[in-house]
Amino acid sequence: MFRLTARAAALAAVFAACNAYAGEGTFGWIYTLDLQPKGTWEFEQRLQYNRGQAGGEYEFWQGRTELEYGVSENFQLAGYLNTSYTNAYRNYPATAEFPNGETGGWGVAYASDDRYSKWRVEGMSLEAIYRLTNPVIDPVGVGVYAEVTLGSVKDEFETRLLLQSNFIDDKLVLAANLVAAIEKIKFVDGETGPESMVDLLFGATYRFVPNWTAGMEARYHNDYYGYHYETHTQEAFFFGPNVHYATKEWWITGAWRFQPTGGKCWAPNDGECSDGRVWDSHSKNEFIVKFGMPL
Amino acid sequence: MKWTPAASLALVPVAAVLAPAVAEAKIYVSVEDTQQRLFPGERLILNPVALTEAQRERMRELSSVREPFRGERVWKSEKGGWFIVDEVVGKHEMVKYALAINADGTIRGIEIMEYVESYGYEVGEASWRAQFVGRTAQDTLKLNKDIKNIAGATLSCKHLTDGVKRLMVMYDMVLKGSK
Repeated sequence: MFRLTARAAALAAVFAACNAYAGEGTFGWIYTLDLQPKGTWEFEQRLQYNRGQAGGEYEFWQGRTELEYGVSENFQLAGYLNTSYTNAYRNYPATAEFPNGETGGWGVAYASDDRYSKWRVEGMSLEAIYRLTNPVIDPVGVGVYAEVTLGSVKDEFETRLLLQSNFIDDKLVLAANLVAAIEKIKFVDGETGPESMVDLLFGATYRFVPNWTAGMEARYHNDYYGYHYETHTQEAFFFGPNVHYATKEWWITGAWRFQPTGGKCWAPNDGECSDGRVWDSHSKNEFIVKFGMPL
Repeated sequence: MKWTPAASLALVPVAAVLAPAVAEAKIYVSVEDTQQRLFPGERLILNPVALTEAQRERMRELSSVREPFRGERVWKSEKGGWFIVDEVVGKHEMVKYALAINADGTIRGIEIMEYVESYGYEVGEASWRAQFVGRTAQDTLKLNKDIKNIAGATLSCKHLTDGVKRLMVMYDMVLKGSK
């Protein structure tokens, strides 16, 4: 059970740990093509909170501290320090080994029926974004993204195709990210596991008054075992609102997404599902707050 | 389930460590000062315009600017020129600017009156604004075609260029023939 739990948990960790953002983030989890102008820096702090799984208690905090730099008009680099805190207690369904519920999921190093709490410095990430077309002056903005993560729980290479169209004096923004990633999961026993994923994120925001935008965003998420998408292991959906406030000195974004029923798990990770939802690093409710300021 | 907010604090490095050197740049220029910059020594008389929906639609069609135009901020100079204050959408706030038109219908100049954004202050530089001087309502006034873009200020450049275009459309439809 531990191996299943740890492997599946680590698999999903990719998504909780590596959703990243560029420039001023009007969405909670979707990248836009708003990059740092050439020669400028921005500091960004992000805090995600995943709460609630099959039962018991589960909360997972993910912190990402970022510095962004505009290398050229259309090229941006960023570096991240990744941290997390896990607090879980019998958050998985009961098993023969743990008839009162199992303590497991992402961030839990070993299966038990005891409380598990741990704070970690997970590692570092380096991200690059290149904007091919600009949605402010082109009908469709297109960009490509790559991110390398090296850490104590996994190494990962993530790519994204970024799409964005603006309307109504650029106040209405439609955006989508097609995400593909491979990762080497690092287990507590020293072994590693190959995983891969593909996600589609999409949403809309609207600037309803100066300084304020609000909108909705959704995520269609798929996990696979193996570096080459060999075995489909999980499928899940998320959606929820976002709100963003910005001034010339700083900005802040808050978003919430909910996992409705309809998710699926297949062997070998079918133990990670219950009641039509996917667990491991996922939860019923996921919240994020991002704060940024030009330096 | 218990919330553990104290734990989350450990995840948030103190932003103050990275003391921000946020530029305090901002542009605020009054209507009177802007009038003197564009029409030095000339007397300007307030000359509000009331636009029909068809005229507004024509302005939207030719400029793509959706933000409503306020017709009460129009002045006529004693020598037949026009001074118009308008606003376009900026990154966070509205960008207020003024357009001056000579009596012969050529653009005399533009001035940025209010600009409060993180970046893009280059639109206030004389060299960028000078690109509009001498243009007429017959010019397409498109960014990257008639008007050069400024890297890092694309949104402001685009909206100001489109804003000037819509004012020139309005001039051509309404002001040009007025007494």
